Amino acid sequence: MNGRFPRRRLFQVVAANLARLLFGGAARSWARNIGSTAPALCSMALLLLMSGLVGLTAFTLRNVEQVQASQASLLHVYLRDDASGVDVSALFERLRTDPRVAGVAYVTKEDALARAQTIPGLPQLAQATDSNPFPASLDVQVKNIDDMGAIDALVRDESVVDPEQPTSYDRGAYQRLQAVLFGVAVAGLAFLGLLGFVAVTVTMNSVKSAIHARRDEITIMQLVGASRWMVRGPFVVEGAITGGLSGSLAGLATFGLAAAAVALGSESFAQFAPGVTVTVAAVAGALVVVAGLALGSGSSLLTLRRHMES
Amino acid sequence: MRPDVPSRPIVELRSVSRAYGSRVAVDDVDLTLHPGELTFLVGPSGAGKTTLLRLINREIRPTSGEVSVAGIPAHAIKASRVAELRRLVGVVFQDYKLLPRLTAVENVAFGLQVADLRVSDEEATDRALDALEAVGLGDRGKSFPGQLSGGQQQRVAIARAVVAQPPVLIADEPTGNLDQDTAWEIMDLFEDIAAWGTAVLVATHNVDIVTRLQRRVVTLVQGRLVRDQPAGQTGRMAWLATS
Repeated sequence: MNGRFPRRRLFQVVAANLARLLFGGAARSWARNIGSTAPALCSMALLLLMSGLVGLTAFTLRNVEQVQASQASLLHVYLRDDASGVDVSALFERLRTDPRVAGVAYVTKEDALARAQTIPGLPQLAQATDSNPFPASLDVQVKNIDDMGAIDALVRDESVVDPEQPTSYDRGAYQRLQAVLFGVAVAGLAFLGLLGFVAVTVTMNSVKSAIHARRDEITIMQLVGASRWMVRGPFVVEGAITGGLSGSLAGLATFGLAAAAVALGSESFAQFAPGVTVTVAAVAGALVVVAGLALGSGSSLLTLRRHMES
Repeated sequence: MRPDVPSRPIVELRSVSRAYGSRVAVDDVDLTLHPGELTFLVGPSGAGKTTLLRLINREIRPTSGEVSVAGIPAHAIKASRVAELRRLVGVVFQDYKLLPRLTAVENVAFGLQVADLRVSDEEATDRALDALEAVGLGDRGKSFPGQLSGGQQQRVAIARAVVAQPPVLIADEPTGNLDQDTAWEIMDLFEDIAAWGTAVLVATHNVDIVTRLQRRVVTLVQGRLVRDQPAGQTGRMAWLATS
């Protein structure tokens, strides 16, 4: 054989044989075994869809956590409507020169109203009354979140501060949020792990039945001296076809659901799911397809290691 | 005519034993096969004939001892090198093991191409047709296995086993499913293949054929090689082949 063909011709022959024996054989076998593959395809698609949605949720929660972390070190000091400008300036200056404070900003009642109108639900509240219900405030950015309590204690008894609702300080709010996020993450991972186990098991069973259906072919290939990857390759490709199809279905569904949610409620969605855009949804969909390919071919490899002799 | 048997063996088994749990299937067997030699492996059912063939083809490893095929240590090679060894050993089964969806020529070409991806379709078809011609089925290349008789299917299986011209051919009860006339035709083929220089080892129960062909006969009983009679001296041992 060696040297009989020019190298290019040899490459064509090998490529053609690979395409027919490896990919063509896998595709035919996959189509023949569609009955036993369908449950694996469905469970894997479901798993991947859930993975995509959980992934997007995790992305959202991470962004929420970051927003909350930045907001947790921001203290709103609400001012009385009748506070004098001199007193407010004095408090402003005291806070600005405090070494624990990174910065102070004065927010007028109009600015507060404008900000509220970007938050879901609050525009209706604002329109429910003739007057502007939102107070002016001093927004104090604290350097260390641990100093929030001390700054709050410093300002809450000041005469210019609203006695009813002096500040936005809520002891332990950030820690509670972190605890909730951690719990959600653990629950999500456990749920995904369970779904993953089911999908891998079902896929392994479908590959096992494919091996059983083709045992004569496998025996012949092994005995005529086909290399191990030549014998195993078609089953890995079969698994990849199942995983790729499941991933494509789940990826499309993930992208569709996320993109629809973005399009339907763009304003409120941006508040509840910060950072989730159509681009992010497309990336999530693509990742789901890749995960499907890896899951399908990986499950096949695992099955082959267990159920096929060398 | 059978060529002269050269001194250098193509298959060597040295003190080979194989046990399945506590049951010893092959027990301390020494055996050599030479190119161009047709050897019959006889013995009652359960004597270890199939195990011995599987050891040569490295379907299984010996529990102890050494198996060498064309210089390759079958007992010691890694799984990644098994394919290389198997390309040196053609295999024929009692139940033919043809793929029913492929025609005769496709079955033979399939064996050729999965073992060597560099073989083009045209070359595989040409060589498969040549092999079918050699086993007397040159006109049945387009037939599917279901359209062929048992003897014809076994000929296709033999064509597949020899199409890559391996130096060793092993056959496990190749005539077990065939009538006596067809069995003789198959044995004639094995003689021809041996005459081309291939070492042929045939496990069989067919006493009549073993007796009349007067070839080398190796007898296994309860896993032990109890007799190794050279060609022309097989008349008195044939009773051992009965199960």
